[in-house]
Amino acid sequence: MKKYLLSIFVLVGLFVGILAQSTIVVGTTDKIRTLDPALCYDYFSSNILQNVLAGPVDYKVNSSEIVPNLFESWEVSEDGLEYTFHVKKGVVFEDGTPIDANVFKFSFDRVIKLGGDPAFLLSDVVKSTEVVDNYTFKVTLLYPFSAFVSVLGYTVAWPVNPKVFPADKFYDGVPSSSGPYKVTEWIRDVRITLRTNERYFGQKPKTDRIIIQFYENASTLRLALETGEIDIAFRHLDPRDILDLKNSKNLQVIQGESPQVRMVVFNVQKPPFNDPLVRQAISQVIDRHLIVEEVFQNMAAPLYSLVPMGMWSHEDVFQDGSVETAKQLLYQAGYNERNKLVIDLWYSPTHYGTTEADVAQVLMESLEKTGIIDVRLQYAEWATYVDYFLNGNMGMFLLGWYPDYIDPDDYLWPFMSESGAKSMGSFYVNPYIEAVMRAARVSNDQEARTDLYHVVQQDLAVSVPYVPLWQGVETVAAKTNIKGILLEPSQVFRYYLLYKE
Amino acid sequence: MSLRNYIIVRILLAIPMLFVLLVVIFVVIRIMPGDPVAAMLGGRASQEVIEARRAELGLNKPIIVQFFDYLGGLLKGDFGTSTMTGRPVLDEILERFPATLELTIFAFIIAVLIGIFWGSKAAQKRDKPVDIAARGFSMFMYSVPVFWFGLMLQYIFGMQLKWLPIAGRISATVDFESITGLFLLDSLLRGNWVAFLDVLEHLILPGITLGLVTSSIFLRMVRNNTILTLTSDYVKSAKARGVPENKILYRHAVRNALVPILTVMGLQLALLMAGAVLTETTFSWPGIGSYLIMKIRYRDFPAIQGTVVFFAIFVIVINIIVEIINALIDPRVRY
Repeated sequence: MKKYLLSIFVLVGLFVGILAQSTIVVGTTDKIRTLDPALCYDYFSSNILQNVLAGPVDYKVNSSEIVPNLFESWEVSEDGLEYTFHVKKGVVFEDGTPIDANVFKFSFDRVIKLGGDPAFLLSDVVKSTEVVDNYTFKVTLLYPFSAFVSVLGYTVAWPVNPKVFPADKFYDGVPSSSGPYKVTEWIRDVRITLRTNERYFGQKPKTDRIIIQFYENASTLRLALETGEIDIAFRHLDPRDILDLKNSKNLQVIQGESPQVRMVVFNVQKPPFNDPLVRQAISQVIDRHLIVEEVFQNMAAPLYSLVPMGMWSHEDVFQDGSVETAKQLLYQAGYNERNKLVIDLWYSPTHYGTTEADVAQVLMESLEKTGIIDVRLQYAEWATYVDYFLNGNMGMFLLGWYPDYIDPDDYLWPFMSESGAKSMGSFYVNPYIEAVMRAARVSNDQEARTDLYHVVQQDLAVSVPYVPLWQGVETVAAKTNIKGILLEPSQVFRYYLLYKE
Repeated sequence: MSLRNYIIVRILLAIPMLFVLLVVIFVVIRIMPGDPVAAMLGGRASQEVIEARRAELGLNKPIIVQFFDYLGGLLKGDFGTSTMTGRPVLDEILERFPATLELTIFAFIIAVLIGIFWGSKAAQKRDKPVDIAARGFSMFMYSVPVFWFGLMLQYIFGMQLKWLPIAGRISATVDFESITGLFLLDSLLRGNWVAFLDVLEHLILPGITLGLVTSSIFLRMVRNNTILTLTSDYVKSAKARGVPENKILYRHAVRNALVPILTVMGLQLALLMAGAVLTETTFSWPGIGSYLIMKIRYRDFPAIQGTVVFFAIFVIVINIIVEIINALIDPRVRY
């Protein structure tokens, strides 16, 4: 009898132990703006959707390679205009509603009709959608666009449950799940709780419950991790805090690739930046290494093109220049030690975290090493900042870029095309480069596209409407018993891989 | 003037006050540089999309039309739609308000308790160590930056001693379902003692931060007013009659000193909510203060306006209530 009792106690103990270990708490300073894919256009909202919904395509784990998901396969017409997708059968939302071609048509049409923030990703290229049969969905494009399937990797194209999401307005509730997790609780800006979706067709989560707790600032997030309130701190710790946390025995710091890039933007129509010699001179003295070392404690990498390192077609078209070359260029432009080039350098103090003022300071010091440039630092909060650069008020300013889809097109078209450059505040216009990028959009041949993107990048280094500065490094700090953390080049952070040891 | 008429006049007087405030807020937000739509969409959206969104939110109309549209909406209880989230502003405010209210009430209780007890003791023991300490404390708390004080408490009691949680309203792993949004009350209503204790623990550091800062004002006022009443003739005669000292202090001096302080306390409760901004940011307290900061960054016109108007209405209501209480206590106020 005693043996039985002992066994029961051991079993109960184990069971309780397993239960206790089936929750992981993640802390972040990000916010969820919306869980409607038609409106969602910020990192953390997408992050939740990526764990709660299933997409038509997905990124292969720990890679930026697109793989089929809800779309099992597809054919593209010879002219590159028609995409016929075959939908996986037997997949359902958490309430049992089947995901078929009708659901896809509903979701695509809804995004385009509602015109939310990310809608342009579809509406700029999609001419029409059609249900061929229950499991065949056809999309006709306005023009051939080889990165279209990559666009489907972004949550804007992910199907939503027509029984939950209204067709004619945005939805501010919790989505009906089709992914590994479902949302069981959402107290806005306090926490969101995810639990295993038993009806998910793919890999089951290793941890049943993920709670995401929201914090207002980086220092509180750090304290929350150190005091054990959370298991993982994911976005955004201060680089100096990360250095401290690396020395802690109870914590692990994991770093991974990030497709985020940062740059200096020139308004090429605003004096003195309308002179290419001035832009080239500045690009010669910018010290990327100093920014990376001093401000980011080496938690970033110097970048020499707008296309990030590791992505196909990337080419280092800029280089570490010299003060002497910069001086020569400035002399040619008519500036010298007595007639100095006086410029304003703008930055936004909070939008990119706590480090931006330091970046601006280091840049100022680099530029003033010439003895010919005088820099005045200027700053504005994000709303004002955007207003200023869209209206061409700022001549030189700092900007960052998170991709919508993982393709070189998303790093070049939004910057170097006429419409894109306008929305970035550089107002750069080059019909030849625009034609080259259009050719790359149409082509299905990656080698040919690579050559075309090399042409664009080389022009970038000559015309210098932007100076790439650094490529980010994604960082997560966690308790040492937390396993399965993957910081993927696709930016997808998969909660279903996380577990406690 | 009868009490009823007095109340009606107070309420009517509040309307032009609110109107002026609305005009000022409306104009100030609009003359500040920064387009909310552009801020929301970043640089990625086309001009057409930006224009369409502006039209949808009515931001392309002349400012005077926008103002009267807004006013019309307000009268129907519509505070507008957030440009950031596309949700009704009032819903967002009402979701956040209980957090601020809970923190404010908690801090207010701390402030009142410290203010009354220490303030009256300081008055009684004038120029003695208790009084000197009270004055030192009051000066220190009045001048210390709230966020710095909060950070210090976080560091000492959260980080080093690990006695209390340093942020948020409730631990992530505590199961809890809210009813009113006031977590402390809700956990009691549900009989969830685990949640109650957890919420209480979370309230302590931000509550103390805000409460101690406010207590410095109360302490000084109670001390000064009590000193005045302690030197009045009726107190002197009470002393002469041999009434015990503590009875004189609390029954006579403090009680009389509190009448003018009550008005200030009422207003202070409203101002406390404004003061909660920094405390909420420091302790990741998801209230209206941190909401307002977030919305200002993104120039979310309707949300900023809505929050300020909501605050204003709250302050005015508190003010009216305080005046009514005063009028009840002291009928001379009505004339």
